[in-house]
Amino acid sequence: MTYAIYFPSHRHMLGSALLRRERTLPDMGVRIEVANMTRVSLTDVVMRGVKPAPFAVIEGARFFGLRKADELTELMEARQGDRIEEGQTLAIKSRGKRLISPITGTIVYVGDGKIILQQTPGVVEVEAGMNGMVVEIVTNRSVTVEAYGGVLQGMWGNNRRAVGTLSIEPREGVEKIRRDAMDIELRGAIIVTRQPVRKSTLEVMEEQNFRGLIAPSMDASLVEDVLKLQRPVLLTEGFGSMRMNTTTVNFLIDMQGKQATLDAVLPEPLEPRLPEVVINVPLTGNNRPAPPNTTQPLRRGDNVRLRSGVTGKVSDLPKTPILLDNGLRMMCAQVELAGGEKVTVPLANIDYLG
Amino acid sequence: MSISRSTSILAVDFGNVNTRAILIDLVDGVYTLVAQAQEQTTAGFPHGDVGVGFVRVLTQLSVSTGRRLIAQDGRVITPEEADRSGVDLFLATASIGRPLRTILMGLFGEMSIASGKRAAAGTYVNIVETISLGENRALEDQLNAITLARPDLIFITGGTEGGAEGPVLELVQMARTAIRLMPKTVKPIVLYAGNNAILPQIHELFDKQTGLFIAENVRPTPDRETLESAQKALAQAYNAFTEKRGLGFEVIAEMSSIGVVPTAQSYQTIIDYLGRTLRGSVLAVDVGSAVSTVSASVKRFTATSIRTDIGLGHSANNILYSVSLAAVREWLPFPATDAEITAYAMNKSLRPSSVPETVRDLYLEHALLRAALRTLVRDARPTWTPDTALDRADAPLPYFERIIGAGAALTSTGQPLLTAMLLLDAFQPVGVTRLQADPHALIPALGALAYIIPEAVVQVLDGRNLEDLGIAISLSGTPRKGRAACRVRVTDERGEVNTYNVLGGTIFSIPLPLGVAANVQVSASGGVSINGKRRLKFDVIGGTAGVIIDARGRALPLEGSPRGLAAQLPAWYEQATGVKHEIPDEWLAVPDAPKTDAQPAQKRRGRRKKADAVTSEEPIFSVTGDTPAEPKKRGRRRAQTPVEAPPPSPKEDEIDDLRDLLS
Repeated sequence: MTYAIYFPSHRHMLGSALLRRERTLPDMGVRIEVANMTRVSLTDVVMRGVKPAPFAVIEGARFFGLRKADELTELMEARQGDRIEEGQTLAIKSRGKRLISPITGTIVYVGDGKIILQQTPGVVEVEAGMNGMVVEIVTNRSVTVEAYGGVLQGMWGNNRRAVGTLSIEPREGVEKIRRDAMDIELRGAIIVTRQPVRKSTLEVMEEQNFRGLIAPSMDASLVEDVLKLQRPVLLTEGFGSMRMNTTTVNFLIDMQGKQATLDAVLPEPLEPRLPEVVINVPLTGNNRPAPPNTTQPLRRGDNVRLRSGVTGKVSDLPKTPILLDNGLRMMCAQVELAGGEKVTVPLANIDYLG
Repeated sequence: MSISRSTSILAVDFGNVNTRAILIDLVDGVYTLVAQAQEQTTAGFPHGDVGVGFVRVLTQLSVSTGRRLIAQDGRVITPEEADRSGVDLFLATASIGRPLRTILMGLFGEMSIASGKRAAAGTYVNIVETISLGENRALEDQLNAITLARPDLIFITGGTEGGAEGPVLELVQMARTAIRLMPKTVKPIVLYAGNNAILPQIHELFDKQTGLFIAENVRPTPDRETLESAQKALAQAYNAFTEKRGLGFEVIAEMSSIGVVPTAQSYQTIIDYLGRTLRGSVLAVDVGSAVSTVSASVKRFTATSIRTDIGLGHSANNILYSVSLAAVREWLPFPATDAEITAYAMNKSLRPSSVPETVRDLYLEHALLRAALRTLVRDARPTWTPDTALDRADAPLPYFERIIGAGAALTSTGQPLLTAMLLLDAFQPVGVTRLQADPHALIPALGALAYIIPEAVVQVLDGRNLEDLGIAISLSGTPRKGRAACRVRVTDERGEVNTYNVLGGTIFSIPLPLGVAANVQVSASGGVSINGKRRLKFDVIGGTAGVIIDARGRALPLEGSPRGLAAQLPAWYEQATGVKHEIPDEWLAVPDAPKTDAQPAQKRRGRRKKADAVTSEEPIFSVTGDTPAEPKKRGRRRAQTPVEAPPPSPKEDEIDDLRDLLS
């Protein structure tokens, strides 16, 4: 397959851009908490929703030894829709036998000789995550916020989000941090580590109550552990033992000390978001940065990131497929890396940085 | 529906990674594939709308054909205009989208549940929970399992015809209760395919609650299975669900003449048609990024299975749940840790469109691919026997005259013989097999087109528009390495003869150019055969990989250790690509092998002579690049096995076959 025009994948690393992010929740009991065209700050709650809660089934007719299931309705002390506390009487028989609720919740069904209660659902809150403006609201579904900021998009996240200050790990590494030696600047911060995540990294993260972690990679066997964490973890390179590439490290060093939202989206098919950190960058002068260019075909001179994580500039776009060392024949680009080295890379393995 | 005046047809297939477009037009009165283009699908970040990729792919097609296909408003120009802008017919197919989250309910795991699973294998379904009466869970746990799974569909099976009704009703009541407890906006559709005696109660219980589909009982008797009716109902349920899938499909569906047809449905139609017209068995496997499809026509019965858990992109991380690590390691010429294989699969799912850049990545990718292909076919096999519930998954594959591969991992190697080798490795056919690839998503398009212009489908298929990799002649037995396994005598159209002695343990391509006819005589050496025969003579037409001689033996004699594979697999890759791979010593010595082959190898291990797949006795003429000569009109012995004949002109009976099929 040859291409007259090639549109690359996008994974942004931008110091300043106009960003537009949609905050959504599944369509159950969603309440929008902001109005359109209002300003919001990082931690403002823009919408609330409910978590699905489990049910408890009580065999009422069997408990009372009723011959007809319908007779249960006559014994009920509470009605469908009533809120019930744990230990509260649900139904009572004339001789004093009581059916007690085993949980706190709501009666959602009475029939067929059964009482079904639903536990009180938990509430989910979604924060704006950016200092910006609400530019679109879809009733019961989403809020879109627009803001100026820096952005770094990564490869994987554990489906958690947090707001905090970006801090780079100490020189000796994140695992050397001990409670007594904890630097005040690292408390409640989103920590950037250059090293792959290990089990001990996660232990330090929990122990020191980091707000979040940005790391290059981790062993795939840690996925279950990381998914259980309440704090976000974002991988910039992927799974394995890759170190963070220099360009990414330098970008994050430049952003050190700034407020950021770490949105560690769990990548899934058709997920329209990427795991990312959005950094609150003050605007200088009257210049307003443009939104990332997402419609431009790949051209010579474009800044790109390769699959290995390293970045470079496209120096040539050959018109015919190139034979790779492994025997595959692919459409490729020639990319000049930071050190001046030129490499030939399949187009499919190139991300446009924005 | 028939649009007889349609001459130009545009078809676009939306996969999870690639959007492919083809243009079919009348050339000298015959429908022919005239152009194709491919772009990345834009359903994910940053666009979230397939329409962006759609416009891009049509722009590519416009650039390559010089023909304007889209108007200013982004819509396809239909019908074709006097200046040849636009097309008469636009069709869309898609395998993209979330599969139906399904709860499967039945009485017993090995009976109705097993049949339900097989019926569901033909649709984009993800069974998230199975509920049976035989299990030990309490009613409360079962209800929570249903409601918290947030299913799109509850598929109820159970009970034999004339059997007890009570247990099935109990199951149905549970489903009804669960649906009542769910919010109105997320109530699942119900498909009932159990004991028909309780249909009145089924209607009474569900008609006012949610959408209801009824199908024939999937297990009418303990030893009989009827899946077709349930499969059709599942397809209808999926179509009803996908109308709401968003991602910009509503605009595409509105422009397309027949909405957006599921890609797998097209596979069923086309492979069934090929099976009937060829009067032989055909196997097609499409390994997509998130979803894979296997369609097989065996003894004129066609079955299609879809796996939403196997794919070599988005679903790569799921492959290891279905395929053992050992099955992957069988194809690796170095010891790889669990962590390395898992990391490769997970990184592939993070970058579904990426391709292997290094030698090590190539082996990991192709090991996953082969293991996935073998699992797909092994698991699909029970559906190939329609009237029996049981089948031996470990029995040898039936003989397939044609094998078609699709999906970027298979078809985008840029090396036809490598694509052919991957198919041969995975399925290990014996005898003579025609290998084809579908890099441009022609089968999805033709399946949709078959409903409108069946004759166009016949003409396009006859016109060699699928990529013909070539005829593969696979030797059975255990050919001795380094000794001639067979002698192949090729007589081209000018009467010139070339003879090849193909060595045992090799895969070799006879360089017969695409579309060029020749007569081939194969004589197998002692200890090997061509599907039981010692000699074979037949006419062939060259494919993109020429004529393929697989002299490695059957079953494929894979070495049992990484060290053995380190000598064996690179030799096969060299034969298939012409590129020599070195497996560095350090890859073999250390179990926790390095993750990259970016550094050049320090030493060569097991230095061997460059693999010579062939020795020539008679002068070997270069046939590549020659202009094919007109066939000579001299007498020729009739081929013993005429596996290939000149493309016939479209026949009415073939079109009728297709019409029958569609009716």
